[in-house]
Amino acid sequence: MADFVMEARNVYKTYSIKKIKKGDAACNVPVKHQVEAVKNVSLQIRKGDIKLIFGPSGSGKSTFLRCMAMLDIPDKGEIYLGDECLTAPGADLNKARARIGFVFQHIYLFRHLTALGNVELALRQVLKLPKEEARKRALDALNEVKVSDCINKYPAQMSGGQAQRVGIARAIARNPDIILLDEPTSALDPELTGEVIDTLRDLAKEGTTMLIVSHEMPFAREVAEEMIFYDEGKVVETGPPSLFFNAPNTDRAKQFMTRIINRTTRE
Amino acid sequence: MLEFLFNPMHQGWIVQGLFLTVEITLFGVLLGLGLGTLLAIGDIYGKKPVKAAIAVYVEIFRGSPLFVQLFLAVYTVPTILNLQIDHAILAFLVFGLNSAGYQKGYVKGAMETILDDQMQAGLSTGMSKIQTLRYVILPQAYRIVIPSWTNEFCSLTKSTATLGYLGFMDLVGAGLAIKGSNYEILPVWIVIGAIYFVWITGFAKIMDVIYEKKRIPGVELAMQS
Repeated sequence: MADFVMEARNVYKTYSIKKIKKGDAACNVPVKHQVEAVKNVSLQIRKGDIKLIFGPSGSGKSTFLRCMAMLDIPDKGEIYLGDECLTAPGADLNKARARIGFVFQHIYLFRHLTALGNVELALRQVLKLPKEEARKRALDALNEVKVSDCINKYPAQMSGGQAQRVGIARAIARNPDIILLDEPTSALDPELTGEVIDTLRDLAKEGTTMLIVSHEMPFAREVAEEMIFYDEGKVVETGPPSLFFNAPNTDRAKQFMTRIINRTTRE
Repeated sequence: MLEFLFNPMHQGWIVQGLFLTVEITLFGVLLGLGLGTLLAIGDIYGKKPVKAAIAVYVEIFRGSPLFVQLFLAVYTVPTILNLQIDHAILAFLVFGLNSAGYQKGYVKGAMETILDDQMQAGLSTGMSKIQTLRYVILPQAYRIVIPSWTNEFCSLTKSTATLGYLGFMDLVGAGLAIKGSNYEILPVWIVIGAIYFVWITGFAKIMDVIYEKKRIPGVELAMQS
């Protein structure tokens, strides 16, 4: 029996993007640009842990999270889900992803399916549940995130907050070992973030294992056991929320916290 | 002037011709859709040699006259290989293969507008790539493709007019046969043209209705762009 629900060992990920080099207006040349998004990052998560990754945008947090779910394949290093090494050749990634819930920043609901259809699909196709049972579990999950009123609505007919809660229902309906959440509130109107945060708070109370990329500081303070400050592809500092809210050790974290706390109080 | 319409034999030819035209276009356009979808998937996910083969395929069928393709398939190839195959089946295959060359582009274009986020979403729930294509990507791509597909149908139907000149008894073949019975030719072609018009317009209207019905609720024009 593995100690950790999930573990990342010395993970590296570099990707290249094409940037338009500003030059002569008529001949802007796309230049390949290497982004080192994840540089030697390790992380362990135990059952029931709630860990929160935060840091400047563009620092590679999302890429790291996507590597954890093997939605991006790491260049180097290992990802473990329990005892199983997902980066080993021949690992069954579909089976592994069925045990990992993933919530996207931009929600990514299946646009042609209703809320119920979104949650049901994987229950039917991945877990191969019979129709009635899949429906029941999907309804339970939707109920849990309090969107029972829009089970028959399509994504384009929901508010951002409703859609993201359906996204969370889709992730939890399979009873995954862990849920990875990539800035689940940052694409929403400030008014709507509250309802999504409430949902996450409920999940936290139930002891759901979660790794969250987020800048919702009051929420972090309340539920996170550990906060991970991430910058330029690396983990700069880790510690309990009290450390970051009082006196982070590194200057970079200090600077960042000051800015975030100022912003929050101004609001 | 229209007395040929009251000749039972001529009526029979026209009905027979209409039947062949409808049959070949419908099967052709459906085969084109199925094969076009496979080509689109191969072009998106295939390795380099697969992509190259698909590109050659598409260019051959798009770049050469349909008449030549039909002639080769119906007369030359069976003779060389000494095969006895129903000409209608060969013609239907040529139309399907030809249409696939065009439809690959429509389906690929539609898939690419939704592929990025929807594929990730599908994989994240534990579905395989194939399951995600089957249950998430293609149902959405086919909705987007309906208007292009309707155009393809109209265009393909008219392309089948070539068949009459290759000795098939399609609508044009029926026209040619009636012309052979010494009738005034213009009314014959007008009637044949009108039959094409009714069939094509009617079918296109049905597709328009299906397109409206299949619209994803709440998604207005965004999906078409």
